[in-house]
Amino acid sequence: MNPAVGLAAFLGVALATAAIGFYGVRISRTTGDFYVASRTVRPWWNASAIGGEYLSAASFLGVAGLILLTGTDALWFPVGYTAGYLMLLLFVAAPLRRSGAYTIPDFTEARLESKAVRRVTSLVVVAVGWLYIVPQLQGAGLTIRISTGLPSWVGSIAVVAVVCVTVVAGGMRSITFVQAFQYWLKLTALAVPVVFLLLNQTGGGSPVLAEASSNPTGLPAAGLYQTVSLLVALLFGTLGLPHVLVRFYTNPDGQSARRTTLIVLGLLSVFYLFPTASGLLGRVFAPELARNGRPDALVLLLPGKLLGGVPGDLLSALVVAGAFAAFLSTTSGLVVSLAGVISQDLLGGSVRGFRAAALLAAVVPLAFAFTTDSMALAGSVGLVFAFTASTICPVLLLGIWWRGLSDTGAIAGMLTGAVLCGGALVSSTIIGSAAPGWLAQPAAWTVPTAFGVMVLVSRATKHRVPGTVTRLMTRLHVPERPVATERRLR
Amino acid sequence: MTRVRVTAPQPAARIAPKRPYHSREAAEDSDVGQVFVRSLIRSQLRLAVVVASGFLLVLAAYGSMVALVPELAKMRIFGIPVNWIILGAALYPVIGLSAWLYNRSAARNEARYRDLVEDK
Repeated sequence: MNPAVGLAAFLGVALATAAIGFYGVRISRTTGDFYVASRTVRPWWNASAIGGEYLSAASFLGVAGLILLTGTDALWFPVGYTAGYLMLLLFVAAPLRRSGAYTIPDFTEARLESKAVRRVTSLVVVAVGWLYIVPQLQGAGLTIRISTGLPSWVGSIAVVAVVCVTVVAGGMRSITFVQAFQYWLKLTALAVPVVFLLLNQTGGGSPVLAEASSNPTGLPAAGLYQTVSLLVALLFGTLGLPHVLVRFYTNPDGQSARRTTLIVLGLLSVFYLFPTASGLLGRVFAPELARNGRPDALVLLLPGKLLGGVPGDLLSALVVAGAFAAFLSTTSGLVVSLAGVISQDLLGGSVRGFRAAALLAAVVPLAFAFTTDSMALAGSVGLVFAFTASTICPVLLLGIWWRGLSDTGAIAGMLTGAVLCGGALVSSTIIGSAAPGWLAQPAAWTVPTAFGVMVLVSRATKHRVPGTVTRLMTRLHVPERPVATERRLR
Repeated sequence: MTRVRVTAPQPAARIAPKRPYHSREAAEDSDVGQVFVRSLIRSQLRLAVVVASGFLLVLAAYGSMVALVPELAKMRIFGIPVNWIILGAALYPVIGLSAWLYNRSAARNEARYRDLVEDK
């Protein structure tokens, strides 16, 4: 690939991001603006922003790479990423919006009337956020190496720098517009090359696609346990992701939170058709990438490989731009929500504290990204989902739907989930590819265990259920008065 | 343009409702009001569980179909294997449809609750 093309694409995305970020600064004036865009963002904007933030390196590069490697087994990843939003809609979206809390720790503290719960939740949220940023930075390193030939660390540092500048300067209001723009950029960047290549290669339905079920690596198919465990992680992990939740507070009321989620589902469904098609094209036309050990680069290399020349360069530039949009949007979403949590709990909640916290939130995972080696991107993000599903998901679901949850139960459950799931992931990383399936994909047993511990300990500590629970449950589930529309017009 | 110092609201103040105490809130706090609230929560939870199980059943049906009918992987439409089409494209409309149905029914539950409370 022509190095100038990759560099130009990255600079273009960085400049566009910064420009939209600074345009947004002028609207953000009060604390409410800065943190959650005053809850006045329209459903379409908000849905595009949620899509933009959610579609990370794993979706943009990882899904196609994994499909190239393992075929239909990998198709469960995009299905799970999308269906996770269905679960979020069913169980969390409207009540959480009505809670009026800004962050997950705010919610657990209000629901359980306990500072200790807040502290444990904050720790878990920060751990999830950091774990999730690492693969984004590794993806950036991979992209910069493939597209320009520069060393990987240049890509990781560039992403962290752009994110810090936009977040520190603009806060959430500009982030919403940046994210919305980046959803559409990502969609275009995947869709245009795929459509182009399909037309070019098949000439309208030639039988060459019949090779789709070829298996370039000869890897065995995943067993039933692996698939079920993966789905548990993806379905129940999404609703606990910190950067996804904070987006829902920008809806004016519970009803519009639901409408937004429905639009998000549509946007994700359309998006995921294209990584799937890329993976399929890769299986047919570029199976050697799977054997060279760089399947995650498939999306980046495909246009240059199949077309070459100026059209290949132009399409490659588009894909590189989309990839950077993916790293930038997910990383900045995570950095904003982590900075919110860190500044509230450690730095007293001033805007200066928020800025310092944003730097902290972005730089720590950078150190991780340097010291660890990247695995398959979709796989490592899947593991973060397993961790979230074992820790934050139970406390949210039980907190919203079960009056009997006590603070002791919540803490015990979250710690159990964190220790079991974290332990399984660390030990399976140490063992490497020889790790047994139940250790490498632990969600199927850690999630039910965390739920079980939470329920049993809450039952045993009934006297600690807060007296405000009736009031709070009413608030979570009763529809807002029509006043909400007035607030939107303000 | 005047500059406003931006500070974080205190968590407790943020959660505590600052709205005036409406008659409807009084109704929600009463015993009868709580019966309505509890039945709203129950019907919303039931709805969510039904939709979620419906979707999981569709997934399970696909899984067992692939396991029981291995010829499916060899069937093709426009040169693409059928299991790729189902898993890679056809499941998404199912997700969207479940979400749309849920949204409609959830809004209907809430409207029913509103009628009950405001008619009193």
